Amino acid sequence: MAAASTSTSDDQTSRPSHDTDVPLDISVLKEIARKGLVDALNSVNGAKTLVLDPSLAGPLGLVTEVALLKHHGVDKMFWLEPGPLSSTTTNIVYLCRPLIKWIKIIADQIKRHGRDGQKHLYTLLLVPRTSTLVTRILEEEGVLGDVTISSYNLQFIPLADDVLSLENEAAFKELWVDGDETVLFNSMQALVSLQKLYGSFPRIVGKGDYAAKLAHLLTRHNHGQGGSAAGKVASEKLDSLIILDRRVDMISPLLTQLTYAGLMDELIGFKNSHIEVPVSLLNASNAPPTAPAAGPSTSPSTGVAVPASLTKEKKKKHHLSTATDPLLAELQDLNFSAVGRRLNQTARRLDEDYKLRHKAETVSQLKDFVGRLGGLQSEHQSLRLHTGLSELLVPHTRTEEFNKSLEIQQNLLASYDVNNQISAIEDLISQGADMQVVIRLLCLASITTGGIKAKTLENIKRELLQAYGYNYLPLLLSLSSPPLAVLLPTPLPPSAPPELAATAKYPFTSLRKSLRLLIEDNEIEELENDISYVYSGWAPISVRLVQCVAQKGGVLSNPAEKEKKAGEEGDARKAREGGVGRVQAHPIVGWKGFEDTIASIPGETVDIVQSLPGGPEGGVAAISTLMLPREQSTTTVVFFLGGCTYTEIAALRWVGRQNKGRKFLIATTGIVSGKSMVESIAGISNASGGTKEAGL
Amino acid sequence: MEVDHPTISWEALQDGNVFYRRHQVYSISGKLPDLGDFVIAGCRYGGPIALMRDTTKVIALSRATPAFSKAQIQVYSPAGEGLLLLSVWDQGKIIKFGWTFDERLAVLNEEGTYRVYDLQGDYQQYSLGNEASEMGIIDARIHENGLVALTSTLTLLEVKGWEGGKPLTLANPGLTQPPHSWAVIPPDLTISRHVEVLLSTEATVYSVDNLESTDQRLSRGPFTHVAPSPNGKSLALLTYTRTLWVVSADFQRSLADFDTTSIVGVDAEVRQVEWCGNDAVLVTWDTIAVLVGPFGDTLQYFYTGPTFAITESDGVRVLGPDACEFIQKVPASSVSVFRPGSTSPSAILYDAWDHFTRRSPKADESIRSIRPDLAAAVDECIDAAGREWDPYWQRRLLNAAKFGKAFLDLYNATDFVNMGQVLKVLNAVRFYEIGIPITYAQYTQLSPTQLISRLTARNLHLLALRISSFLSLPSSAVLKHWACAKILRSRPSASATDTALDEDVICKSIVEKFEKVGDADISYAEIARKAWEVGRTDLATKLLDHEPKASDQVPLLLSMKEDGLALNKAVESGDTDLVYHVLLHLQKRLTLGSFFRVLEEGGAHLAPASRLLQVYAREQNREMLRDFYYSDDRRVESAVLCLDEAANSLDPAAKITSVKAAQKFFSEDKERGFEAKMMDENARLLQSQQQLEKEADGKIAFFGLSVNETIRVLLINGMAKRADKVKADFKVPDKRFWYTKLHALTETRNFEALDAFARSRRSPIGYTPFVHHLVEKGYHKEAASYVPRCDASKRVDLYVVCNEWRMAGKECKERGDKVKLEQLRRTCPNTLIARELEQILSSMK
Repeated sequence: MAAASTSTSDDQTSRPSHDTDVPLDISVLKEIARKGLVDALNSVNGAKTLVLDPSLAGPLGLVTEVALLKHHGVDKMFWLEPGPLSSTTTNIVYLCRPLIKWIKIIADQIKRHGRDGQKHLYTLLLVPRTSTLVTRILEEEGVLGDVTISSYNLQFIPLADDVLSLENEAAFKELWVDGDETVLFNSMQALVSLQKLYGSFPRIVGKGDYAAKLAHLLTRHNHGQGGSAAGKVASEKLDSLIILDRRVDMISPLLTQLTYAGLMDELIGFKNSHIEVPVSLLNASNAPPTAPAAGPSTSPSTGVAVPASLTKEKKKKHHLSTATDPLLAELQDLNFSAVGRRLNQTARRLDEDYKLRHKAETVSQLKDFVGRLGGLQSEHQSLRLHTGLSELLVPHTRTEEFNKSLEIQQNLLASYDVNNQISAIEDLISQGADMQVVIRLLCLASITTGGIKAKTLENIKRELLQAYGYNYLPLLLSLSSPPLAVLLPTPLPPSAPPELAATAKYPFTSLRKSLRLLIEDNEIEELENDISYVYSGWAPISVRLVQCVAQKGGVLSNPAEKEKKAGEEGDARKAREGGVGRVQAHPIVGWKGFEDTIASIPGETVDIVQSLPGGPEGGVAAISTLMLPREQSTTTVVFFLGGCTYTEIAALRWVGRQNKGRKFLIATTGIVSGKSMVESIAGISNASGGTKEAGL
Repeated sequence: MEVDHPTISWEALQDGNVFYRRHQVYSISGKLPDLGDFVIAGCRYGGPIALMRDTTKVIALSRATPAFSKAQIQVYSPAGEGLLLLSVWDQGKIIKFGWTFDERLAVLNEEGTYRVYDLQGDYQQYSLGNEASEMGIIDARIHENGLVALTSTLTLLEVKGWEGGKPLTLANPGLTQPPHSWAVIPPDLTISRHVEVLLSTEATVYSVDNLESTDQRLSRGPFTHVAPSPNGKSLALLTYTRTLWVVSADFQRSLADFDTTSIVGVDAEVRQVEWCGNDAVLVTWDTIAVLVGPFGDTLQYFYTGPTFAITESDGVRVLGPDACEFIQKVPASSVSVFRPGSTSPSAILYDAWDHFTRRSPKADESIRSIRPDLAAAVDECIDAAGREWDPYWQRRLLNAAKFGKAFLDLYNATDFVNMGQVLKVLNAVRFYEIGIPITYAQYTQLSPTQLISRLTARNLHLLALRISSFLSLPSSAVLKHWACAKILRSRPSASATDTALDEDVICKSIVEKFEKVGDADISYAEIARKAWEVGRTDLATKLLDHEPKASDQVPLLLSMKEDGLALNKAVESGDTDLVYHVLLHLQKRLTLGSFFRVLEEGGAHLAPASRLLQVYAREQNREMLRDFYYSDDRRVESAVLCLDEAANSLDPAAKITSVKAAQKFFSEDKERGFEAKMMDENARLLQSQQQLEKEADGKIAFFGLSVNETIRVLLINGMAKRADKVKADFKVPDKRFWYTKLHALTETRNFEALDAFARSRRSPIGYTPFVHHLVEKGYHKEAASYVPRCDASKRVDLYVVCNEWRMAGKECKERGDKVKLEQLRRTCPNTLIARELEQILSSMK
């Protein structure tokens, strides 16, 4: 994707020559999701009022648009929220996840209608499937008889042509705080659907307790159910599934993301591929791409005040997608420090392209130019948007809080002067820094140092509670108890449960060495010659683990680095783009070569070769066929259980570009950031649009 | 052997352009009772008929008929074999019965209760609901995928599917008396994909669906018969004046008008108006049946007694006293091959093959003449073979096709092979002992799997199994049915010692059979349930062990009261919904104590279940959750639950009580001293906030703020003394207090107080934060005043931050830092400042 970086015309000609790796076509998943919704809506005859779970609006917006809903008889849409519901249509359709809070609201609204003598027909569409729990609660509320319960099986939604997401924001909290394993089962179902489309995964590799659980569920499903023949055959297109659960690498999300997309998510919020931007950025008529928020509010103060300054201008949700926005593909995975330069280049190139019009002499040349004008204009529009967006981001990155927290992160990762870092965190609390920033740093300190001294920790906790409110005590308790256990005192209290002690032993320092996590190379940002560019010198463990399976060479040394030595001119960018340095991907042989390292990380390790009728008689033979060099390229699916960050996606794309013959398809339960994780555990929910009437 | 030529049974219509044929499928003389005395329902696709005595008719008792006094329904195969005798309800008049898509008999009584019987006489019972049973049902129409009932208040109720779905009320047509006749167009045939009801009332017809009732504004009614065609596109209506009127389903186009009184010898009442395929209508009287074609031309058939006609998608099946016949339009391929004088390629191919078998040289000549169309001719012969009932003609046509395809260079023989296979299957099921007279067209519509399940429903397991392996279809469904039937048949032996042995033998024989013939996906659970239902618990448990799918095991285990096992299996499956299913079931059935015990005894293995219970209870049943935590001595969780309540309660007193309760729980756990202390502080804070609010006459909101916020609000409102007190009470460290105060005073723009505060003592946070914070808030000038108090080394940069370039320059001069000054000059924003800086620079020389 990011190969398309230099220019428009010559790039298109040069690219296909060595890019035989066609990515797996996942747009069909969107079609399936859309059709499912249409079918579900059509099962109710006539005009209907749609009442929508606000958390589903984002995901639904990715698969459908309001016009389609209107076309299928949706008269009005409302958010599902407490309070009475007035509807002019006989049919009322509720669309929500099977959460108890929603069901209680629904029951309440139905009862209100009953009291007011309003007659309605209620249909409840549950995502992704019906649930006994819902039936029970409706029964307890005494309205079960009035509701027709059905389901809308919304599974993987394509966010980009190599990213699939279940868009379940709460997945991390549900698994590691509540212990509610529903996500696990839903993930399994979604992966099974994937297998039905593309064939079974010949091999499943994974790390982490929940990852192991998911892998076993999946293999048992493949075994137990005959099902359709298509799902049973070993896939031609997929060579393996790598499952990583979030607990295996808690460090990556705790760090501040530094890629363009990641930073947007951290600072502005980038949810369901939608971003809230000031209206002026989207208006084409607004000619000069100046900073929208002029005046003193441009430089926001502390973190708490940041959103306030942004809300001054009317904001609009904008769907950022690489399909409609040519620049996004180039920018999203760049380290933010490089974004400005890239924007500059694009601006200059656009300018030149526009100037071509003066050179047009003949009519046919003019016609040619006019033909390209549409493309130029859309590029122009997207340039304006991204310039505006980065101008929004820059002041954030200049704040003291931001830089201080980056500094603490880098020092902690390098295990440099730990005590000072902890007192720096204390200072941040006294300065009233954003709560989530502080919590993230604290957890990072705890993981990297193997626990914070009990007395110090107690002090910090007290500071935290006083500064931000005693209501965060449950959050602190959740963070420090199994299975999450990311904020621990050292030594552990003698009565601590054994599993706590086990999870507490995260072999940070040895991993840093064996997985080559910390790269102290000043040129990194310039060259982007290792995945560590995404955190300016720190390689995300999760992606290193993927490399352990799918690009073993990349873990130990830098492929681009080698290339530099081999090739005379050492033009790393050329190597990256031209694919000269791309190595033929090796077959998947599990964790081989890294067994000890992997074993040292807490959590179960999985490596299952699925014996399927596709490859000749299972186990050993299947491996031998896998060993053969493949002509056509394969796709490796990486599933992040509990969510992944934009940064990890960027890093994985980078890994994908280094290989010839292997593409990555990133699947996740949702896009997370450290912020969203902390906030979901704390129970802070970002309230959605205040209007009663819903939109997508 | 000489066999009648196919055309013998053909009769021409429309000036010899269209042919209809009447084929006797079975001879059933004397096998069926007099159809005139019964209410009858026939099943499509060669299915059976169900008969119930028509109580409105007088009957001669001399006949050797079974006891008629009770409500009984007899089921006969089309070949006249008795399949089943049902004794239905004693009470409650039967309103209607009819067949479902999967050949089960749905029977509805006046109380709105309906049963769905399979061909073994087992049934499921459902109801149309209380309202319906109070009102009473007066009539109903049963179609393959549901029913529509007419209540005594003349409203319509619809049920979709046969799983006991909730009845839906259709739009009210506003009738004042029952319709003269009515019909239902099934949902899969309407444009809206929802069921449509046609009611003939007075002179018009109302069409009703779930949204609205439309008057079609007709004047020809009332109609005694309303019959929709098999594809739902046309309607056949019979008026009181015995005129048959065929019209499109939207009443827009009149297709045919035919006066039935013109037929000689029909005086009695019309028995039935049924469709023959989609383009002809069969009207029957007691002994005459008239087939009315699309242009009003007719064919007449005569019978010795009353008949019953069943519409099929490609014809009509007529059961008479002597025979079961099938009347259909002769399919195009058959016409093409056999029509006298036909010169179509297929006819020539057939002729060529005929010559070939007689070793006549004309064969070659004929083949050559149709060379370009040979492939099509072969295909047509194959198709025609499928349309013939007689194996003799089937074979001849296939032979002709085989002969023709030998002349083709490239020919895909799949169709040929498939047709051969299908014909074998069709001939097998048409055999009179099986008695399913299904045509090729119906077979393709019905699907082979449905046909197989119809065979299993008749307990014809061996044939079903052979057919499924012949067509290489999964045999699991057949095996499952077989196993259930086997369990039902094998009565447990009398002596107790033999029983256990027996069960073992049966279980073993079933499992062995499955492993030998079956595919992987066989559900033992359903078989086990069957065993359990007939009271053979041991056998059920044994069979259940073989079930791989937990979702199937669990419900049965629950009904068998194997609670622990059910919960274990549910947890193992990873299906949280299944776990909930078990949990909620157990919670309902067991006492709270024993419910908790089940979870407790499960230990770590059941931990996911116990966590799910907590998720559920936190939202829906807090009382139970409290008990649960209490019984398990989980102090921390109890405390967190209290805090959760505190967060949600609006009443201050309740909030404080909850926090105190949490504090108590924490204090009971000696590891949680810190948390207990914090909650103690929390309670104290809340109380002092209440106090503060009282002092401020409720004008300022304090309650629920954090310590920092409390201090901030106090400072903003000029209650500095109070703020100091809070600081002291909660031992707020100086640093944090200073930052808070700095922010608060800046917010109120109280720069004097800020200055006083800064001077009050040496700042524990230094003065750099003052500068930065003021600059951030846009107070550059005020910020600059704090620069001199900062570290000397930082001052230059801080002045720059405050936009005070000249001051920065002076600072440089004072420190004699030329390099820095140079740098300033390079980075400064405008020439004015640059010049000033240059001056300073020059003055330094």
